[in-house]
Amino acid sequence: MSDTLIKARGLSVGFKIGSGLFGKSILKAVDNVDIDIEKGSFFGLVGESGSGKTTLGRALLKAVPITGGTASYSDGEVDYDLTTLAGPELKDYRKRAQLIFQDPYAALSPRMTVRDIIAEPLEVMGLTKTREETDARVREIAAKCRLNLEHLRRFPHAFSGGQRQRISIARALVSGPRFIVADESVAALDVSIQADVLNLLKKIQREMKITFLFISHDLSVVAHTCDHLAVMYLGRLVESAPTRTLFAAPRHPYTKALFSAIPSLDPDDRGRAQKLEGEIPSPTNQPPGCKFHTRCPYVIDRCRKDEPKLEHPGDGHEVACHRWRELADAARATA
Amino acid sequence: MLFGRKKAVAAGVDQKAKEAYFTASQGQLIWARFKGNRTAMIAAWALVLMILMGLFAPFLSPYDPTIAGRDENYENGAPQMPKFWDENGFSLRPFIYATERERSIKTNFRWVVTENRDHRLYMRFFVEDWNYKLLGLIPANTHLFGVDEGGKIHLFGTDASGKDIFGRTLHAIWTSLAVGTLGVLISFVLALIIGGVAGYFGGWIDSVLQMITDAIRTVPSIPLFMALAAFMPDHWSSETRFFFISIILGLIGWPTLARRIRTHLLTERTQEYVLAAELSGASAGHIIRRHLLPSFTSYIIVDLMISFPYMVRSETALSFIGLGLKDPVNSLGALMQNVSKADVLLNYQWYFIPVIFFVALVLAFVFVGDGLRDAADPYSDSKK
Amino acid sequence: MTALIEVKNLTIQFRTDEGLVTAVDDVSFSLNKGEVMGLVGESGSGKSVTAKALMHLNARNAVYGANSRIILHSENGPVEVLKLKTARELKIVRGGAISMIFQEPMASFAPAITIGDQMVEQLMLHSDMGKAKAKALSVEMLDRVGISDPAKRFGQYAFELSGGMRQRAMIAMALSTKPKLLIADEPTTALDVTIQAQVIDLMKDLVSEFHMGIVFITHDLGVIAQTADKVSVMYLGRLIEEGPVREVIRNPKHPYTQGLLAALPKLENLDAPLTPVAGDIPSPLERPTGCVFHTRCPKVVGDQCKTRLPEHVQVDSTHRVACHIHTAEVPA
Repeated sequence: MSDTLIKARGLSVGFKIGSGLFGKSILKAVDNVDIDIEKGSFFGLVGESGSGKTTLGRALLKAVPITGGTASYSDGEVDYDLTTLAGPELKDYRKRAQLIFQDPYAALSPRMTVRDIIAEPLEVMGLTKTREETDARVREIAAKCRLNLEHLRRFPHAFSGGQRQRISIARALVSGPRFIVADESVAALDVSIQADVLNLLKKIQREMKITFLFISHDLSVVAHTCDHLAVMYLGRLVESAPTRTLFAAPRHPYTKALFSAIPSLDPDDRGRAQKLEGEIPSPTNQPPGCKFHTRCPYVIDRCRKDEPKLEHPGDGHEVACHRWRELADAARATA
Repeated sequence: MLFGRKKAVAAGVDQKAKEAYFTASQGQLIWARFKGNRTAMIAAWALVLMILMGLFAPFLSPYDPTIAGRDENYENGAPQMPKFWDENGFSLRPFIYATERERSIKTNFRWVVTENRDHRLYMRFFVEDWNYKLLGLIPANTHLFGVDEGGKIHLFGTDASGKDIFGRTLHAIWTSLAVGTLGVLISFVLALIIGGVAGYFGGWIDSVLQMITDAIRTVPSIPLFMALAAFMPDHWSSETRFFFISIILGLIGWPTLARRIRTHLLTERTQEYVLAAELSGASAGHIIRRHLLPSFTSYIIVDLMISFPYMVRSETALSFIGLGLKDPVNSLGALMQNVSKADVLLNYQWYFIPVIFFVALVLAFVFVGDGLRDAADPYSDSKK
Repeated sequence: MTALIEVKNLTIQFRTDEGLVTAVDDVSFSLNKGEVMGLVGESGSGKSVTAKALMHLNARNAVYGANSRIILHSENGPVEVLKLKTARELKIVRGGAISMIFQEPMASFAPAITIGDQMVEQLMLHSDMGKAKAKALSVEMLDRVGISDPAKRFGQYAFELSGGMRQRAMIAMALSTKPKLLIADEPTTALDVTIQAQVIDLMKDLVSEFHMGIVFITHDLGVIAQTADKVSVMYLGRLIEEGPVREVIRNPKHPYTQGLLAALPKLENLDAPLTPVAGDIPSPLERPTGCVFHTRCPKVVGDQCKTRLPEHVQVDSTHRVACHIHTAEVPA
């Protein structure tokens, strides 16, 4: 497909752990992931803690080294191989791909004014020649993120969580990126503020034609914002489909359990949900076979030995499970 | 919590003050918080006063604090307080009495000093006496005060050889501060380089530097001092000794500071805003200059303030046990050494006056350091 | 049903360098035995401060209002919690009649003492149990909260357990003294959703088994809907709406509660636009006059919202709301 912005095949990221002379081992945070992010889409990446979703996002930004597989970026102007990107090309990629953080308190330097924070990428990348040009650009972006232009002289301590997150967004936008990774960007915000930031991100995506990779643990948030969803479990991609398809008929037992674990707002709908036993295994001590088999209610012997591959059935709804066809048929029969 | 509190500062004041608060830099916020700490502010004023006293010691002391300025007629003399009146009437100019010294059969052939209450010596200001160089540069011979011809004024009394303790104390403050400054500077430069390299590069460089740091920290200081004292030749001038001691204090003082700088760098490097700058394509130089250095200047200042009294104390301790500066030199430690005689405790209590200054100096540094630390450390006010 | 704890006109201010900061303002509620009350609010709403007041656990710079009363009805008659002074007196509430569990279980276990030793120590402090008996009960409690191999976990340290296990161990410790009231301060917020579902289930089971009252503090209305019998909604230290959970969630009366529910992304209708509550939460020292919510309220009815504090109005026998829209409807 020509309009795929990010394409990864067999992408892996491993970290050396147990530094020192003894006991060096590799922790595979992301293992053999295939992912296609379409240009202009709002791509959601869901998973619990330890699923590798943050690492995957950072690998695509070249913030952590890719240790295996291929990954490429292609926006129509440039084509980059993300595994080998370096030097001036990497500098150029930094302009095109940006990150928005989770914690609006840690992500802003307390020693710089809002203007300086937003202007920093412009200055280090040499995107603007004069101070006037920088100021004009900062004002333009700040206005887009609904920041009060009179507040640009202030320091971050003057702002509330929602406002700080808008400053973070403005900094990410200022270099004119084509691709933005938003890592749990609303998780630290209060509910009444969260919707505001989500709407802002959607508006930016539409108006500026930016592709988003939206990483979150909160299914109801991603369901509302993303066009396409990918679910990760212990470093593997277990299911990937357009949001509506995925919500209408999840194929992987983990996705199903994830959906039913969301506390329903209906007080009469208590305890009906299917509950998962146990917890996500430690990434340093992964089970053999399907990584989900230790908690899966439909586990069979094969799951304990063979690891299922991500299947592409042709309808755009990819899943990595040995029994998904069987389970889908059974679900249809009972319905 | 913190945010609520910080914002709280702005409550109930007009918009202008609020805007000033919102646009206040970290330094301004720290200063604002420091100003609110009364103990620290009093200590800061006391410290400034003592530093000025040290700086202008020659101008403030009426007599040369070395043996050249001794008062042969007033050895082990008690402090003389200027008076405005006595039984002979009132005077607008403060005065002291002339003293007379005699030795006779009546006094068991010991020198006895008596005041002649009928002979007033009036205080005079901006008198010309011994020559000195102001701030080490400008030759001068004017002193703040003195008395009429025919006697001398000793506010804090004199020691066994008749040297003015007031002048000695002021000069001693200066010596101790200078040793401290030199020592702190040496250890600070070493700490910044070693801690900075270890913290920024990490990895095996860090491991090796940590080992060296730990090795130095394990050297016990008292035996080291004694070995050094044995090494110091007797014929060294007081200036050489002075530099030698400063360098030693600096050389053994850096590991603690280096460790703190390293830890701070390691934590600051993983901050998300540093990653954000990296992802903007910022170079290592830009990150060090723009983010890392500013992030710990406040900590460095606090650390320097806190290690200063340690240096002053070390110098004093060394001199006190006789391993550092020796008596003709005016250092607080050398002055305190004189106090350790039973004779002094019984008869010449004014020898203790330099001790008061020493305690005040160390306390002032500690309180200012604590105040700065509280003001710079956002976690210190998590009262809620 | 008998009241377990009654809170009357609770006002809490904190003495800070910048003056008194109001955290809780004239809050009253009561909780019956075996009842689960959800306390909902965003940051700065005062929900945690309110809960800590129940155990007289707030920091020294807290100033309680003169009319503030918290009455705990124990077997030995009512206890005025706020009048308790010494550590000995406070033992009645702290770890005795009332237990508390926190968002971050790591913080409530001492890192260098095994989980078992901490449980035994606490039991021996609050009852006249012997060591052997206390140990047996602790292992039983660990088993009861669904910790596998409880005898082995008994000898482990908190850092050796996973997040979900730690939260279970903390619940076991909190319940081992058989408290009358359990305060749960965001107990599931730090957990993954699948683990959160497990812990919610566990807490529901424990309520029916131990028949204690629970004050469940959270910002998540979904968790409230799943656990609570009744809900109190707080905003900037004021209790703005309270009532049975079905009533409040299906038929919210206060514009803030309505806004909060509208701001939640709903899975049933993916097309529904997300509607945030306008503006930001004011800082505690910039408390708005009149109704504390008027700066963000889309339904301001007139000047009285800015100048006058709305009275609590009974919508029906159990549903109360503090909003001028409803005070206006009540005939004078």
